[in-house]
Amino acid sequence: MTKSDQRDLFPGALEMMILRTLKRQRLHGYALVQHIKRTSNDLLEIEEGSLYPALQRLLKAELVKAEWGVSSTNRRVRTYGLTKAGAKHLEQEVSRFERMLDGITRVLAADES
Amino acid sequence: MTWLNQLLSRRRLYDDLSEEIQQHLEEKIEELVARGMSRSDAIAAARREFGNVSLTEEESREVWQWPSIESFVADIGFGARTLRKSLAFTAIAAFTLALGIGANTAIFSLVNGILLVPLPYPEPDRLVSITGAYPEGALVAMREQVHTMDVGAYAEGHDLNLTGRGEPVRLTATLMSAELFSILKAHAELGRVFEHGEDVPGKDNYVILSHALWQQQFQGDATIIGRPIELEGVGREVVGVMPADFRFPSAKTQIWVPLHNDPGSVSTYWAGDYMPVIGRLRPEATMRQAHAEIRMFQAHAGALFPWPMPASWNADVSVVPLQNGMVADVRLRLLLLLAAVGMVLLIACTNVANLTLSRTATREKEFALRAAMGAGRRRIMRQLLTESVLLASIGGLLGLAFALEGLAFLKSLLPADTPQLMTVHMDWRVLAFTAGLAILTGIFVGLAPALQVSRGALITSLKSGGRGTAVSVSQRLRSALVVSEIALAVLLVIAAGLMIRSFWALSHLNPGFHPEHILTARITPDESFCDDALRCLTFYRTVLDKVQSLPGVSGAAFVNTLPLGGRVSKRSLNIENHVDTPGETAPLFWLNVVTPDYFRVMGIPVLSGRGFEDSDVSGAPVAVVTAETARRFWPDQNAVGKHIRLLDDKDWRTIVGVISDVRAYDLQHNAPTWIDGTAYVPYNPLATLENKRVPSEMTIAIRSTTEGSQLAALLRESVASLSNEVPVSEVQTMDAVVSGAVSTPAATTSLFVAFASLALALGIIGIYGVLSYLVSQRTRELGLRVALGAQRRDVLYLVMKEGAKFSLTGIAIGLVSAVLVTRLMASELYGVSPLDPLTYLAVALVMAAVAFLACYVPTRRAMRVDPVVALRYE
Repeated sequence: MTKSDQRDLFPGALEMMILRTLKRQRLHGYALVQHIKRTSNDLLEIEEGSLYPALQRLLKAELVKAEWGVSSTNRRVRTYGLTKAGAKHLEQEVSRFERMLDGITRVLAADES
Repeated sequence: MTWLNQLLSRRRLYDDLSEEIQQHLEEKIEELVARGMSRSDAIAAARREFGNVSLTEEESREVWQWPSIESFVADIGFGARTLRKSLAFTAIAAFTLALGIGANTAIFSLVNGILLVPLPYPEPDRLVSITGAYPEGALVAMREQVHTMDVGAYAEGHDLNLTGRGEPVRLTATLMSAELFSILKAHAELGRVFEHGEDVPGKDNYVILSHALWQQQFQGDATIIGRPIELEGVGREVVGVMPADFRFPSAKTQIWVPLHNDPGSVSTYWAGDYMPVIGRLRPEATMRQAHAEIRMFQAHAGALFPWPMPASWNADVSVVPLQNGMVADVRLRLLLLLAAVGMVLLIACTNVANLTLSRTATREKEFALRAAMGAGRRRIMRQLLTESVLLASIGGLLGLAFALEGLAFLKSLLPADTPQLMTVHMDWRVLAFTAGLAILTGIFVGLAPALQVSRGALITSLKSGGRGTAVSVSQRLRSALVVSEIALAVLLVIAAGLMIRSFWALSHLNPGFHPEHILTARITPDESFCDDALRCLTFYRTVLDKVQSLPGVSGAAFVNTLPLGGRVSKRSLNIENHVDTPGETAPLFWLNVVTPDYFRVMGIPVLSGRGFEDSDVSGAPVAVVTAETARRFWPDQNAVGKHIRLLDDKDWRTIVGVISDVRAYDLQHNAPTWIDGTAYVPYNPLATLENKRVPSEMTIAIRSTTEGSQLAALLRESVASLSNEVPVSEVQTMDAVVSGAVSTPAATTSLFVAFASLALALGIIGIYGVLSYLVSQRTRELGLRVALGAQRRDVLYLVMKEGAKFSLTGIAIGLVSAVLVTRLMASELYGVSPLDPLTYLAVALVMAAVAFLACYVPTRRAMRVDPVVALRYE
């Protein structure tokens, strides 16, 4: 229930996934969390609520922008979309993540040999 | 978005957030229902998957905040509301803390002003004090031979007549080396300070006025500079006026006069004032070098004297920072007081911590609820700490107000010649100290309850509806607090008890004379008046005749140094058939010059032989010695009939009587340690002091039934009728002189007693509170016991045992720590050992009795427990 529980991922991972998802399409919070859950084959057990503090952080950093609208189910929802800065940030984060993953993979491989 | 915009639009942001989350939940529920779940299950599932809603909202909001500050502000707001809700608790706790913090602030103001604030001279850290005392000759030699520092000396206790301006005035003067002002880097407000070389005969005819004297006597007249004023009948040119904040060595000094370094007058040059020496380190020199150099100087300084000096003279001289040097004797007293108030505050804290602890216990449900809502343990602890710090801050503010009142009172208790006393005030250091103290106090007070709020205990507490099992933990904590509280109180009361015993011993000791119904006054013609000894003697004889004829006067006499009057007149003597220790000088005596009636007027008993008679004034030379002196120089013999001779006199004096010892130096000592004996001689032309002149300044002692101020007026009239140039000063009763001698111990004692009473009162409240709480917690158990057939006696025993357990532990710990700690105050004690068994026993008994009483009330309540009522709580 504490912060460390809900972010079993490395710091920034949730934000990165949110940005990646929003890059494809504008979504509101509920759809966003369902999408992330689905695409990860429910492997990432994130609490739905943990999405909102992350979204607020992105909003404050002006990496996403939000608009109130009406959903397909005729519900008043706030949808989020990527800003230019958000797109750039995502690129940087992804390449940083790939470098990190690369490094980790090398270390793991070296361990086996 | 600027921070201001953020702040303004925040409400909307929060609303958006709540709505968004609400929509999220509803969408989820609808979806689950659409999949065939019952509505209530769907609500539960949606909430489960979402997680803690309020926590999520709070964390999302925190993104927009300065997190720590804002939740801190929220905590304060909440704390303030909580404190307001329980006004009685808040008032008691804040007042208790205010007493503790206030007392600490007041005492710390003194410590700060006197010990910590740098001396008000430029580069104060370069100023040093050379411990030990040196006559002019040694000082001049030191000035020439020491290269690590510039040195100068000063001599206090020189009073001068200011005449030629109407009524004669007696001024408190300080003699100064000409260099001393520049060593202090002090500048004149008007005119100039003394210059190098202005302290030798022929060039020393200058004076500098204090600002206050300049205002009072010269109406702030700037043209006074360069004009002569008449001091002791001699015109001296005023060269400067010092600024109002220049108070050296203390605020008492009204006028500064140069030393008169005259190698020709051997007795004053080498044996006049033994003066304190201060110095300023030269730019490249260190304190260590200065110290080494002074030790080297001291090694051969004794050989400079025209007579052999004892090896012990200034043997342990050292160089210390001037500030330490000047306040050496106040230092320990202040630090003792600070320690005492520190303990009072600790006790106050313990008490409030205990109070808070029992309040926390009653608030357990509240905390459990907050924990269930998602508040972390740290968050609740922080809330509790914020509350107690808030409480302590209220106490701190209130304490500051107390301290402001108390400080003026404290200042009036300290001797007026305490250096820097006048400048003591509350500065930023004091405020910082108080603020720091309040915060520390708050943390200390809040720590125990905060620690108690453990997650496990909280959940248990919620389950059991507030009658939790956490009680045993908190009870242990409370007992520990109360034990330490009692121990501290015991320690403080023992300290106060020792001070009382010491003070009682001091004020009840026999000073060797009867001070009742005696009025004293200093009558001081100019020194030149006594150039002709006979003229001087005649003057005093006439004053005496006039005074004796006043109504109600049963006797009057003159003495050059009044007992406890703060003056010593030293004189070297030869003693017949006394073999001087090789290498030692002739014994140094305290020579009292008195008129024949002195012993009778002062009520000093003559132990053997006789006192003086009128015929002694003109007859064969005689002397009287004190019992202590007689024992020292004529052990196992009768001193009466033996002979002594003032150094350089032709004739031997016959000792005609031995009088009882007089506490003349202070109430603990007949004479300073460097004095070998005390002798009295009749006032006649042969009664010369070290400067080979008869004393020109005398104190009159009048035994009379007339009321003091009326008699004083008559005395002034009598003197004025003989000469309008002779001031009458220091008019006070002998009783006042004696109580002046105990005023410092009296002040210290009364403060200790005040602090100890406070500690005792707080300690009692502590025991009472803890035991009451214990009884209320165990009401059910006690009721059960009674229902099962326990007798009142058993219940009494049960509760009293608890009380006795921590009272006796506390008393034992207090006694042991007193044994360890009170030795620090040994030098403040007179006539009582720091381990005085009587005090320890009495305090232990009193504490035990008080603890018993404090236990008794809650115990009685326990005994009245009605089993039916108690069990109904179930």
